Amino acid sequence: MSALLAVSQLSKQFGGQPVLRDISLTLNQGDVLAVLGRSGGGKTTLLKVLAGLETPDAGTLTLQGQNLLPVPPNARQLVYLYQEPLLFPHLSVFENVAFGLRIRHVAQAETDQQVRELLEELDLAAHAQKAPNQLSGGQRQRVSFGRALIIRPRLLLLDEPFGNLDAQTRADMQQLFLRVSRQHRITSLFVTHDSREALTVGTRFAYLDRGELTNYASATEFIDDPRTSIRAELAFWERIQQTASPSC
Amino acid sequence: MRSKLLTFLLVLLFALPFALLGLLAVSENWRFPAVLPPGYSLDPLRSLVAADNDLLAGLGRSLLLAGTVAVVATTGGFGLARAVARSRWAARWEAASYLPYALPPVLLAVLIQPFIIRLHLSGSVGGVLLGLLLVALPFATLLLRSCWSRQATEYEQLARTLGCTPQQALRRVLLPLAWPLLRTTLFQTFLLAWFDFGLTNVLSVGKVRTLTVQVFTYVGEANAPLAAVASLLLLLPPALLLLANKSALLRKP
Repeated sequence: MSALLAVSQLSKQFGGQPVLRDISLTLNQGDVLAVLGRSGGGKTTLLKVLAGLETPDAGTLTLQGQNLLPVPPNARQLVYLYQEPLLFPHLSVFENVAFGLRIRHVAQAETDQQVRELLEELDLAAHAQKAPNQLSGGQRQRVSFGRALIIRPRLLLLDEPFGNLDAQTRADMQQLFLRVSRQHRITSLFVTHDSREALTVGTRFAYLDRGELTNYASATEFIDDPRTSIRAELAFWERIQQTASPSC
Repeated sequence: MRSKLLTFLLVLLFALPFALLGLLAVSENWRFPAVLPPGYSLDPLRSLVAADNDLLAGLGRSLLLAGTVAVVATTGGFGLARAVARSRWAARWEAASYLPYALPPVLLAVLIQPFIIRLHLSGSVGGVLLGLLLVALPFATLLLRSCWSRQATEYEQLARTLGCTPQQALRRVLLPLAWPLLRTTLFQTFLLAWFDFGLTNVLSVGKVRTLTVQVFTYVGEANAPLAAVASLLLLLPPALLLLANKSALLRKP
């Protein structure tokens, strides 16, 4: 099966400082590549290069066999989701979700139907006419997600999208992401600094550190790499458990 | 009760100059220590509609100048603020935007007067417009600087990945986001040009008689009724603009 996305030898420097070094990766339809990494490791730059918001210094980038490098961001059909939901404050929830369809001049009746169905699916139907500032953090992130999904992106680029949510809402959003991802067979590249989140949402795993990407063949390899600190965290919780229940 | 009294006092404070100017405009031989004018005449007001009246022409000139300055400075300031925000030397450019304020406008007018003469714009509306823009444009740029924050860039980039061309991102996202500040800037730059006397007086060399210049002339001539009529005309557009912008000005932070 040919890969949906193929990235090869991608490099990028800012002011002579390498930010991405020979990045290579492939993604198949429906894959969720969870990229774990610390702040300043080059995660955001990688997503921006894929989205067309930054130009790489070297390397190739193909999506469904098409060379993406000369294609402007608006024609790539790759949506970049930020940590902040960035809902348009001058538009209602309904109009925020409809935004991508309005840009594409989709007929009114079809837009109405698609937006209503998606709002229903995201459990936002009751909030359709509300302004973004009337929503909770989790609801805003769902609207942001709906605004991206409605244009059926070929690839979703998520930059720590749930990073600003409380633990419970974050867990709910991860489950929602999993459900919708599977249902719509969305291919995505999910960047996070939380190993638990990476393991929850990812079907494939990578680690990005100082611009170098390591791809893992399996979740076990990912867990076993000491740089991901997952083994260390597991050992920590085991110690806590032993301390809390010494008789067991 | 206390807030009602305060509102009443504020309304009185705001309305009193208008009432006094109105009274002065229709008074005849009103001199100290008389509390009220001894007689009234509508002649100064009637003269407004006379064919050769200079006040209405001055009003037109002032509206043209202040309106053009507001639109050009706000549009240009929006673009310049973006260029400043994206420049590698953003802080230096921002500091440079404050330079026109190191000089009072009248002194700035004296300094640029030789260039205005060489451009054959001395004593013309174009010359005054250029001088006013030199003050209003940096002011608008500074005011609109916050439209181009990191978050605005993120909004723009998000809109691009959702399918917007750069023009669509500007029209559908950036301009609506910036609209409250753009409206304030239009208002402020209009007022800046509308009430300017010193710079306009120097650059116009007595030929471009705006309403503000006329008020000073009538005051100098001790022509109280005409000065009052001109002042009322001068206060009318800002008062109307204030009324139109009431919702924006009373907006909660």
